[in-house]
Amino acid sequence: MQTLLNFLVKHNHWFFFILLEGISVMLIVRFNNYQSARFFTSANCVAGEMFSVITDATSYLSLKGENKQLLEQNVTLLSEVQQLREELYSYKSAEALAADELFLRESSDYVFNSARVVNNSLNATNNYIVIDKGTADGVGSEMGIYNADGVVGVVYLSSKHYSLVLPLLNSKSNISCRIKGGDNFCALQWDGEDTQYSYLVDLPRYTKFEQGDTVVTSGFSSIFPANIPVGTIDRVEDTPDAMFYRARVRLLVDFSSLSSVYIVGNKGHNEQMSLEDKIPEK
Amino acid sequence: MTSTYLIRIRNFILVAIIQVLIFSQIHLFGYATACVYLLFILKMPRLTSRNELLVWAFLLGLTVDIFSNTPGLNAAAATAMAFARNMVLSSFLQKVTSDNFVPSVRTLNWGGYICYTLICILLFYLLLFLLEMFTVGYPLQLIISISSSTLLTMLFVLVIEFFTRN
Repeated sequence: MQTLLNFLVKHNHWFFFILLEGISVMLIVRFNNYQSARFFTSANCVAGEMFSVITDATSYLSLKGENKQLLEQNVTLLSEVQQLREELYSYKSAEALAADELFLRESSDYVFNSARVVNNSLNATNNYIVIDKGTADGVGSEMGIYNADGVVGVVYLSSKHYSLVLPLLNSKSNISCRIKGGDNFCALQWDGEDTQYSYLVDLPRYTKFEQGDTVVTSGFSSIFPANIPVGTIDRVEDTPDAMFYRARVRLLVDFSSLSSVYIVGNKGHNEQMSLEDKIPEK
Repeated sequence: MTSTYLIRIRNFILVAIIQVLIFSQIHLFGYATACVYLLFILKMPRLTSRNELLVWAFLLGLTVDIFSNTPGLNAAAATAMAFARNMVLSSFLQKVTSDNFVPSVRTLNWGGYICYTLICILLFYLLLFLLEMFTVGYPLQLIISISSSTLLTMLFVLVIEFFTRN
């Protein structure tokens, strides 16, 4: 007994080492758990607050490019408004009431908001982005994030004032897309390597497309409205079983210089999800 | 005794802030990340008890983890490095001594100091990237990440040592 006790005391650092490693591994494994993710990531308020102070200080450095981007976007929006106005005017004489009602219903399905990126990672296999809007601003999980260039990602979880976003550059990210001008939709997935490219997997062989075609959101997932640009097709190859195409997509968003983003939420999302949950699994 | 700990806590906070705000933001070529905070562990006096080293390394790793959304990764790797530190250090001693010195160029010479830091940092990155890529496993990417990150960190460690050696 005495020898055993002596042994334990003499080698206590071994047990301590194993204990600490155990805690670390538990943290790594449990990261998907909602509670620990909330507590041990920069979605918690101390880290979020600190990052937002730093971003406050450094955001001045990129103001010039930011302004240019905003101006460009304003111009496209203005021209779009003009175009829509003309279109509306041409219908008004004939079917004024019907057109008004249609337009309203289409646009009121989605709610829009904007946010600033306060932390962003690029070099990991599972990257995350933190934005400065949370449940207090009506932002919740499963809302879409995009900027002037295209789709950025989907909100993963939210605290009161900050949200953790799963960007396209996360191997868990899975966004329903289609090629502009076509009808087939397929999933966009990242392989964890190059931050400029992602992949369209399981593209049916009868899909017609060319290099340089634009990939847009499909609108089926009810997270994003249809036709938000994602990227352009860069290279096409067969899947190992040669049943489908696998297309490399050059992403439009430059993830290394993200600073302000738009949030889009679908009012009908919860309703659609609960309806889909009722489908019996076979 | 108390003042030693107060200084250590101050250094801890300083090192964590510098790591999180400056070095963690550097991602050279998408592969290399510098973890200069390891110097805090490497620069502890030689006779610091193993348990104390483990606690500091775990807490510092966890702090860095919280700011980079990787709970447990840095903590696990840094703890393992702290565990191996005393063994690595004692193999580079010039002569048998019981001095409680701080590892540096003055006490170990350039050769000894470079070997000591290189082995510790290499061990750290080996564990860090193995744990991070546990599910992916591209061997080439692993080797590039480990070697480039180790070289980058070594560069910072040696530059810091060069300017603080006296």
